[in-house]
Order: sequence, then C-alpha cells, then structure tokens
Amino acid sequence: MDRWEDEALVLSTLDYGDADRLVTLLTRGRGKLTAFAAGARKSRRRFAGALEPGTLLRARLVERHGSTVRLDAVEVVHAFPHIREELPRIARALYALELCRELLRDEEPAPELLSLAVDWLGRLDAGEAGPTSVLAFELQALALAGLMPRFDACTLCGRPPGEAPRFDVDHGGAVCADCAPRATGPRIDPAVLEGLAAIQAGARQPLPPALRAEARGLLARFIEAQLGRRLKSVEFLRSVGVD
Amino acid sequence: MTPDPLNRLVAQLSKLPGIGEKTAQRLAFHILRAPDDYATELVAALQEVKSKVRLCTRCFSLTEGQLCGFCTDPRRDDRVLCVVEGIADLMALEKTREFKGRYHVLHGVLSPLEGIGPEQLRIQELLVRLEDGKVEEVIVATNPDVEGEATALYLMRLLKPMGIRVTRLAQGLPMGGDLEFADQATLARALSGRREL
Ligand SMILES: [Zn+2]
Ligand SMILES: [Zn+2]
Repeated sequence: MDRWEDEALVLSTLDYGDADRLVTLLTRGRGKLTAFAAGARKSRRRFAGALEPGTLLRARLVERHGSTVRLDAVEVVHAFPHIREELPRIARALYALELCRELLRDEEPAPELLSLAVDWLGRLDAGEAGPTSVLAFELQALALAGLMPRFDACTLCGRPPGEAPRFDVDHGGAVCADCAPRATGPRIDPAVLEGLAAIQAGARQPLPPALRAEARGLLARFIEAQLGRRLKSVEFLRSVGVD
Repeated sequence: MTPDPLNRLVAQLSKLPGIGEKTAQRLAFHILRAPDDYATELVAALQEVKSKVRLCTRCFSLTEGQLCGFCTDPRRDDRVLCVVEGIADLMALEKTREFKGRYHVLHGVLSPLEGIGPEQLRIQELLVRLEDGKVEEVIVATNPDVEGEATALYLMRLLKPMGIRVTRLAQGLPMGGDLEFADQATLARALSGRREL
C-alpha cells in the first residue's frame, strides 16, 4: 500500500453511486489521476465543498496495488471563490480545466501545466483574465502538451503565410497561397494569424472582438482535430455567450 | 441454479440507483416470500406511476392532471417563484413549510463539463411563465456548487432586465453546527455573507 501527499488541482468530478465521487486530479508529482472519494457526497465533514472543479488541494492519497487511488483527506489550499461570482469566469475556468484534462494522459507528470492552470485560475479569481487571455492560456497549454500550432510561417514551405493564407488543422498551422493546393481548411484573415502569433510570442494586448472570435473558432477547430473530439465546455461558452 | 424468473427480477432491481447485486437479491427474496397481495399491489403501483404521473405543464413538478397542486392552490402567492434543480429539492423546501409561493423545476443545472446548456433545461418555459408580469421575485434555489452558481448567474442575467427581483438562498453554517468543525469553504462563505445585528 502506497500513501502520499501532494498538491492537486480538481479537474472534474463524477458522482458515483449515492454517496461517493470520482475525482479527476492534476497532481504535481504524478500528473493526472482519478481518485475515489468515498462518502464525498454524504459526509460533510471530510471533503465538504473541497471536491469541486478548480479547487487547489493538499491531498492525502492512498493506493492499494492494482486498484483505484483513494482520496483519504484533503485540505483546501485555494478555492478561488471569486470565480463563482461571474458566469464568464466560471465558463472560462471550466473550459481551461477541461482542456488540461483532455490534453493530459494518465499519470504523466505535468508540473508546468499545473502551474499554468493555477496561475490562470488565480487571475480569473482576481478579475484580471479577459477573453484574449483565454487564447493565451490555450496556446501555452498546447505548447506544454507539444501541440503548438504554427501561425508565423507556412507549415508546408516555411515561408511567410502571405496575404491569402489558410489554416489547416491537419498540417497543424498556417498554409500560404502557393501551398494551398496541398492543404485543406478555410481561408483566414492574415490579421488573425498575426494576432495569434503575437500572443504566442508573449504579447498581452487584447485582440479586437471580431479577430478574437475568428481566432477562437480557429483554435477550437485545431484542438478538436488534435484531440479527436470537441470539448464540451466550448459548446457551453457559446451557449451562454462567453468567448 | 436459481430459477430464471428470479434472475430476471434481480436483474431489473439491480438497475435501480444505489441498488447493487446483493441488495437486489435480498429485495427479490423478500418479494418472493411476501403474501401474494404484495406483489400484485407492487405491480399495480409501478404501472400506475408510469401511466398517471407526469410533469405539470406550468412548473414541471409532478402531477396526475395538467397542473399540479402547487400551481392550482389558490392560497399560494403568485408574486414569488422559487426555481429549483429537481423535484427532490422542491420536496425539501416544501417540508420547511416556510415557502408559500409557486415553484419552477429546471430538471437539471447548467453543466459546462457535461455539455448541458440552457436549451436542455426548462429555462425557456420559465421565461414564458414570467411574461405576464405577475411574479415580482424569483428565488434561485440551485445548489451552492459551481454548476448551481453558474445556473443562478445565468438566470440572473436573463431575469434582471425584466425588472424582476432575483434572490439566492443564503449560504453558511448549518443550524446547530459547530464552528470548529465547519469545513473551510462553508466557513469562508458564511463569513463573506455575514449580516448586521
Ligand atoms: Zn507554403
Ligand atoms: Zn405545477
């Protein structure tokens, strides 16, 4: 039997039976893992309020050989309570958590992604994270997962994308007009590529709403192609009118 | 070897929430041993609940007719409407005997991670209900978790512009609770929601 303590961010939870809960955690030491929290929905004492997506915990975990990891006890390090005060903050936070969850494989340590997510939740909590910073978060998370799309050059020939570029999710980035016959994907405003390349390079000035909407759609398609399916919270962002 | 009819009953019972194989077996044996009347009445009750109970066309709680008792009771206050996630929440509130207004059951909450958006809930029906302007206050009684909060904020955004007062159930320490043993999240909530004495 293995017993250890670790920093852990709750990515998502799933009710299990009448009283229990399965909790997907991003732990500092062992990456993503799903732990069984016995009695999490009934006993207010042990886990109350702590096992919600976006809560940063100090977690005591137990693993018996060959069975699911058990969550033994938790202490809330940061609950980011102000995220719950505004719908856009909740929607963005949950989107970020779902993206992390889907980008990670089980039990592969990803301490940088954990730090990135905690930092992002902190900025959402402080009311400092607007729509452009969602794009920045996505690009940084993708980079950490080794899935960086290319915006500043044609992915096929390496030359500048030019005035009539396309964005090809299968080739993982921009494609110039000359290479277009060898690519798929729609035409894209060069300004969108410039904006995304600037964010990728670390620029933090907000994109105008129209460019942002196009950039969001583009990244959503890219992420969907990489993961093989659409994130559920993307649909939610749209349905409550948040970008 | 257990007889097939018994196996079938166990299989059906174990589909119920919270009922495992062992419990299903115990229930099946109980039914088998009970007087014949019991099985007959159980079957009748099951069939009746499926054929007679449906959702109220106004508030979406349960009823045998078109409209439920909460919607038709003339003593209840039309000016206050309490929005709940599910029927169990409505029952819990009703048990307090404190609330004398009308209800609206959403049948779920907004759940970004499960892809449940406003269209999957009875939100459009709520808006239609509020059109006649009789309701002055909507009490949002969703759970104090992330999804419940998201749902409350979403409703707030829709209802405020209609000139309706929107309130949320207070959150804090349980009655008779012990401060020392309260969890961090609840205590923090209770502190930020403190009131003047
Ligand atoms: Zn090219
Ligand atoms: Zn009714």
